[in-house]
Amino acid sequence: MTRAIITGVILLQLTGVALAADTARVIVKENAIREQCRFFSPVKTKIRLNDRLTVTAKSGDWYKVTFKGVSGCVHKSAVEQKSFKLGSIMGSGKTASQDEVSLAGKGFNPQVEASYKGSHPEADFHTVDTIEGFKVSGDSLDEFLRNGGLNAQ
Amino acid sequence: MTRKLLHTALVLSLFLPGCRLENLSADQLDLITNSVSSTFKAARPISDEEEYYVGRAVAAKILTSYRLVNNRKLTDYVNLVGQAVAIHSEKPFTFGGYHFAILDSGEINAFACPGGIIFITRGMLDAVSNEDELAAVLAHEVGHINHRDGIGAISQARWTEALTTIGSQAAKTYGSKDVAKLVGLFEGSIDDVFKTLVVNGYGRSQEHAADLASLNYLAATGYDPHALKTFLDRLVARSGGSQGGIMKTHPATRDRVDNVAANMPEQKSDAAHFSERSRRFASILGK
Repeated sequence: MTRAIITGVILLQLTGVALAADTARVIVKENAIREQCRFFSPVKTKIRLNDRLTVTAKSGDWYKVTFKGVSGCVHKSAVEQKSFKLGSIMGSGKTASQDEVSLAGKGFNPQVEASYKGSHPEADFHTVDTIEGFKVSGDSLDEFLRNGGLNAQ
Repeated sequence: MTRKLLHTALVLSLFLPGCRLENLSADQLDLITNSVSSTFKAARPISDEEEYYVGRAVAAKILTSYRLVNNRKLTDYVNLVGQAVAIHSEKPFTFGGYHFAILDSGEINAFACPGGIIFITRGMLDAVSNEDELAAVLAHEVGHINHRDGIGAISQARWTEALTTIGSQAAKTYGSKDVAKLVGLFEGSIDDVFKTLVVNGYGRSQEHAADLASLNYLAATGYDPHALKTFLDRLVARSGGSQGGIMKTHPATRDRVDNVAANMPEQKSDAAHFSERSRRFASILGK
């Protein structure tokens, strides 16, 4: 019985995604909508965790999206396209992604990290924060790739 | 009985023409929706965001034993090589992004913390001969992150217990009792990952898979994938091919070399660009 229910649920998930997947939730801290579907294309606007994008098309590993009136491309690894509209199939206003959004931020989160830090003062989060500041700009990476005869995508 | 009816309705609605979910009542639809949601939540894997927080804590723990090399030019260079291969991986963007740092240690090693922080030791930088070999090492670590090998070290029982606590709270913030329980589980998770990364190392199949990922990322980026084999050959020669050897957590064994050789992608070598990459490598590392 349990197996039958799970099978049905999985089918609904898969079918729902196939039929009505038209939004995507940003699942990284920050990213960008780019003019063209490739790395190093100019950034049109920044997007942040849990922003909801409307997917208009797919182009390889990229999604063509719109967000707050801005159209462009976002890489598929920065978003989760599980936010299918159950309502569009079922006539219900409720969407699975609302649950996902409410789930976001739960679990191992900043509150848990803060409490862990309090009991482990030896853990060097200060240096971890420094490391997270080690970033390379799109322009410098593009130049680095080109100078080395590497693929810029 | 209700469950059976719902299941039947669900399957019929999906497969029989003319039988549509619109025909179900609002209550039934809500029940199905809640069932879908709670079933998937109950079995959900660790999210990218949770992986990020575990990875930060693992990195913070590693940093209790190592200091960073304070050389911005070298760190920037390692980050450029690392990002070059990372954008050619299956997952160019992680929750907090990829960040590469150099540990001030003569050991030859590298660690991929869940989520995207990758450590490489000064000893490893001394051991690689050129930029393509450095890229091979970093690509191998990016492979571990793409495969979620680090986070996979967390015991299933611990995660199931964490989910029980997480699931009992509707709000994003927790009461003190739940926080204490979650922190205990968080700490246990960090220990699980740390032991695998720093003490025991990954299993043979995970190492092989990360090597194959490295070959693919190198080829996609335009680096010479043979660099991985050359580097592993040298490590095997140094360590005598023994398990453990100079890389306890990434044992350089003959079967790894054979695995890499058997899966080597076709790649035309470009001597001029290889020389240019080797020149900038030597210039920055002072070799």
